[in-house]
Amino acid sequence: MTDTTAAAPLLELRGVTAAADEKTILHGIDLAVTAGETHVLMGPNGAGKSTMGHVIMGDPTYTVQSGSISFDGRDITELTPDKRSRAGLFLSFQAPVEIPGVPLSSFLRAEIAGRPGLEMKGKEFRRRVKELAGQLDMDTAYLNRELGVGFSGGEKKKVEMLQLLLLQPKLAILDETDSGLDVDALGVVSRGIDAYKKATDGTLVIITHNTRILEHLHVDRVHVMVAGRIVKEGGADLIPWIDEHGFESFEQVAGHGAAADPQAVAASQGE
Amino acid sequence: MGETKKLTNVNAMPAPTWSWLKMNAAEVEVPAGLAPARDAVSVEPAPGSENVVTGNVEAFDTEMVAASKRYAARSRAAAPGDAAERAKLAAGELDTMDVPALSAYQRGAVRAEEELSAAEAFLTGCGREAYAYLRGLSGKPSVIDVPGGVRAAVTVRVDGRPGAAAAASLDVVVRANATLDLTLALDGAADPDAVAGVVGFAARVFAARGARVNVASVQTADDAFLVIDDMGVFADEGARVEVSHTVLGAGRSYTGLAADLRGDASRIDVDTSYLGAREQLHDFNYQIRHLGKRTVSNMDANGVLTGTSSKILRGTIDLMHGAKGAEGAERETVLLANDGVENKTVPVILCDEDDVAGNHGATIGHVRPEQLFYLGSRGLSEAQAEALFVSAKLEDAALSAPDERIRASVVRLGEAIVPDFEEELA
Repeated sequence: MTDTTAAAPLLELRGVTAAADEKTILHGIDLAVTAGETHVLMGPNGAGKSTMGHVIMGDPTYTVQSGSISFDGRDITELTPDKRSRAGLFLSFQAPVEIPGVPLSSFLRAEIAGRPGLEMKGKEFRRRVKELAGQLDMDTAYLNRELGVGFSGGEKKKVEMLQLLLLQPKLAILDETDSGLDVDALGVVSRGIDAYKKATDGTLVIITHNTRILEHLHVDRVHVMVAGRIVKEGGADLIPWIDEHGFESFEQVAGHGAAADPQAVAASQGE
Repeated sequence: MGETKKLTNVNAMPAPTWSWLKMNAAEVEVPAGLAPARDAVSVEPAPGSENVVTGNVEAFDTEMVAASKRYAARSRAAAPGDAAERAKLAAGELDTMDVPALSAYQRGAVRAEEELSAAEAFLTGCGREAYAYLRGLSGKPSVIDVPGGVRAAVTVRVDGRPGAAAAASLDVVVRANATLDLTLALDGAADPDAVAGVVGFAARVFAARGARVNVASVQTADDAFLVIDDMGVFADEGARVEVSHTVLGAGRSYTGLAADLRGDASRIDVDTSYLGAREQLHDFNYQIRHLGKRTVSNMDANGVLTGTSSKILRGTIDLMHGAKGAEGAERETVLLANDGVENKTVPVILCDEDDVAGNHGATIGHVRPEQLFYLGSRGLSEAQAEALFVSAKLEDAALSAPDERIRASVVRLGEAIVPDFEEELA
């Protein structure tokens, strides 16, 4: 098991309880992610995984009722999303929004404007973006199209990966980036993740149902979330176990409020 | 300094709505003490099109008189409240109680259909007062007369100056099966604290049988200017007219277009693109009269409003008596990027004929919270998101600018908002 107490974590949630429309969705979440690590957040539908990603990014839909979020040595609990982004956080959306009237290229330029080390002049910017598009098998014609408008699910996800590579954040949360993709698009997303890790030695929190995308990634830590609580944490060996057993046993445990560890129980039963 | 001039009934809707909505028409205050600047106007035929710019000031009126004779026979079938009944009423053969009362619009429509000749019924979008003011500024109109079957291209520029009033006026005749590409550049560069100026354009367009007329108007004046862009179109049988209005600048702009689709199967397509920023006001009036059978009109507007800008767009499709098989459609999409903007849209479809189709739709959208969060998650504050909508509109206009000078004017507007705007353009 990795000792996460040695270095100060890059991202740390302490007892975060968050609500939307006065309905509490996250209950006392503790999470610590050390720089350079890859964490996986798994759990059944409706467990609150996406909500956690959004809360970390500062989505005003949610209110943090208690607890704190710190990133890169500062408390970001009260920061607006744009400031979190500029501090080095990134959230890849499960369902990226469409912004009619705004060409993708204009949007990408606005993203990097004013970021030290990333801001580029027109020509350099175009070269860089075309290079990234090529890396992701993305037709450069998309750059002149309105953001997300008429893009397929796979294309939207490619655009998310392109931004990940362009912005090179310190920590990226990938929210179901692999969902609803065909094998080709899945390959492109995997390549994007590899390229990000290679280029920046970045830190990842991957929210997924699908363990396939994790196959050739070195996973440091797995967190299982059920009903707004993290009910299990472990190493990469948890992934094949979940692949085989699913989340049902965790849900039962969460449902009963018991402290028993289904993986341990299953192991003691000789499974 | 002279007195401030006031133009009334500008961009008036043909069928008024509640007056308290303050949408029926605009009142335009023209700054006082402006010097006339006729040298600010240039009419530039493209190479090979030199001979279409003529001195024949009678051309338009002659064609309209001829059209009036051709279309005189088309009288309205007997209907309650028509001219025949009103004649009987005047002669005392009928009692007022026997004749239905007509609204102001209906009286006008009946007059246009039964009493006025095509020439007399001819309108421009901004209305008579604004048109007369612009003609007064411009002096003798320039005349573009495209001979039958010929294709020609002309660019008209009005380059406004602070403290001056400049307007171009045009009479245009595009003869049978001829094509005219008319580009209109309404510009004026001035510091934000400069004295006011006026930039204007007034045109009457006659599109003969089978003619094609493509008008692309791009307005890029700085905020010190008042801009009035006024046009009226008459379309004969099978004529096809395309108008695009790109309105990006001016502290106050009034854009008006009236079209008389009198010839069967004539058609007009209008494409409006606007950007409202700061405290700008953009006022549009479109009035399409369908008189011919199987006539078609399409109006598409697409805009972005930011800051505390305001916009009003009146679009009237009038499917008049006799326009069997006619179809009119209007659509608008507007993005409200700031809570401080004021947006008014009045689509009107008037119908006095069976077997016609009129459609309208409007999509008026505030930037949704999830869009703002998405932009925020990529590092854009709300102010930066708003600036993105503005620069995107200007980039689009720069990329589709009809010529280099217009592109340069768009870039000038862009540079005032986005640093390195030009360099960022592909």
